Amino acid sequence: MNAASLLLPLLLPLIGVPITILFRKQRRLQSTIAFLLMLTALGFTINLLRIVLTTGQPVTVQLGAWSAPFGITLTADLLSVFMLLMTQSVLCAGLLYALGSQEQAVQYRTFYPLFLALSSGLTGAFLTGDLFNLFVFAEIIVISGAALTAIADDKYGVEAAYKYFYISTLASVFFLLGVGSLYVAYGTLNMADLSVRIAADPNAPLAMTGMAFLTATFLIKSATFPFHFWQPDFHAAAPTAVSAMLSSLVVKMGVYGFFRMTTLLFAEEAELLKLLLVILGVIGVLYGGFGALGTHNAKRMLAYSTLAQIGFILVGIGWGTPLSLAAALVFTFNHALIKAAMLMLAGAMASRAAVKSASFEVIVGVGKYHPVAGLLFLIGGMALAGIPPLNGFVSKLMIFWSGVEAAQYIPLLIIGVASIVTLVYVIRAFMRVWFEDNPQAKPKEGDKLLAPALLIVLSLVLGLWSEPLVAFAQTTAAWMLEPNAYILAILGGG
Amino acid sequence: MNILTSLAVGILFAAGVYQILRRNVIRAAIGLVLISNAVNLFLFTTGAYNGTSAAYSTATTQISDPLPQALVLTAIVISMGGFAFVLSLLYAISTRYKTSDSDEVKGLKN
Repeated sequence: MNAASLLLPLLLPLIGVPITILFRKQRRLQSTIAFLLMLTALGFTINLLRIVLTTGQPVTVQLGAWSAPFGITLTADLLSVFMLLMTQSVLCAGLLYALGSQEQAVQYRTFYPLFLALSSGLTGAFLTGDLFNLFVFAEIIVISGAALTAIADDKYGVEAAYKYFYISTLASVFFLLGVGSLYVAYGTLNMADLSVRIAADPNAPLAMTGMAFLTATFLIKSATFPFHFWQPDFHAAAPTAVSAMLSSLVVKMGVYGFFRMTTLLFAEEAELLKLLLVILGVIGVLYGGFGALGTHNAKRMLAYSTLAQIGFILVGIGWGTPLSLAAALVFTFNHALIKAAMLMLAGAMASRAAVKSASFEVIVGVGKYHPVAGLLFLIGGMALAGIPPLNGFVSKLMIFWSGVEAAQYIPLLIIGVASIVTLVYVIRAFMRVWFEDNPQAKPKEGDKLLAPALLIVLSLVLGLWSEPLVAFAQTTAAWMLEPNAYILAILGGG
Repeated sequence: MNILTSLAVGILFAAGVYQILRRNVIRAAIGLVLISNAVNLFLFTTGAYNGTSAAYSTATTQISDPLPQALVLTAIVISMGGFAFVLSLLYAISTRYKTSDSDEVKGLKN
């Protein structure tokens, strides 16, 4: 029973890939199947959350009944379920957007199979308890994400996909080097087993090498400051439904890696890594903010903004107190909702412009005929900037509060000032699209606004009634700081 | 033998890095393949103890560690798929941009 509840959120999208390929000629049927499968997977994720919360135990499945350190383990502890819930809800919204989208890319026969492959890769990456298996799922994410970008309407889609794929393959190389080094040092790939062995003998030869390689991998995956250069290109060129997923979820794979590294794998000796995360996070917040100011394209602006927001999350992970970890989790969740909604709105405006582009020169004034989209964009922008009573305010408040508690005043000051920049670029974009006159803007039908509207409503609800999410994140942070339960659930026969 | 394999890994890596830094996109793709093969070899050496028989044998002699071999197999398959994908992307790029110079593939710099 428990095994099925853990496996279904992963298996449904995975099985959906061949099924949707079979129905490639009937587009309507294909998209309906894909959407229904994702909705069911979301339902099972909520069920999984219920099981984990009521039993207070991680759910564990040993694949092929090979017992723990030898086989591949799938584990849903609270952190996994937290990330999974975020992923599945935003993926459902993304599919909903794709259903109502007028882009050519969505008409492409392999769009839905690739989208389902992307979602199974994300789900698997958050559920697996084995480092090498994490590499495999990361590769699924990379290949499906790059293929989805290569079919974009944007004529530079192929270039963006090539860039991303190239960088990600190098990241995979680092990942394999890290996995190999850790295997040499500790003779295991199971994350729980590794955690025990690293704690027992932190100075094994190649242990630090492995940690450095894993850090490099996750820095590239999360597009943190010195490894960010591919990210704005990639996220701006992808089809809207996809770029919303890339910017809100795929970068979170790297963030998840850091959560696991600092609290499970290298729980004791991660001080250096945490310091690095704080420094890079602060630089990312500054760089992303000012980078977003200097862009001429709405999607590109939002991609730079992701850079800044990932910076906030990394700073939260780097401080490593219970409160700051909870803050990082809340930030991760809220950012996924807001950024997906904002990118969808930018894409929806682009689809209503004279030429299909999110460049400010083209979409200026387009909003005149779409006041509802304007309202949604304004709410989303306020949430991004962290204005009460929206969910972005809750996440920023928690980060700042945890910084005060941890007495980290200098990073706090910098990210506080830099977060004001968010307000500047969001308002600038809003004014240009909705309040400037453009004789070329005509009333025109475009992508449906239902998906971003749902996400914005969810952000509003989570801002006004943030108690459950905050409590959930705090419980999760408490679990993360007590990795023994996780280790016992995996290694203690299950 | 150990020195030989380490040298092979090192040389493959160096050659791969050198090719990646070239401006020609095809050479860069070849560099990627060299590097991923260097990593495969590295993974292989992580299990290269002096085993004398295969892991499935019931013999009591020293057996080789089978796990790195499984890892290498998986990594090879994945990198093969990835390389095929890179080549198809390169084909699309070369038909669209009419060049193989990476400095001239810069449509996104806006």
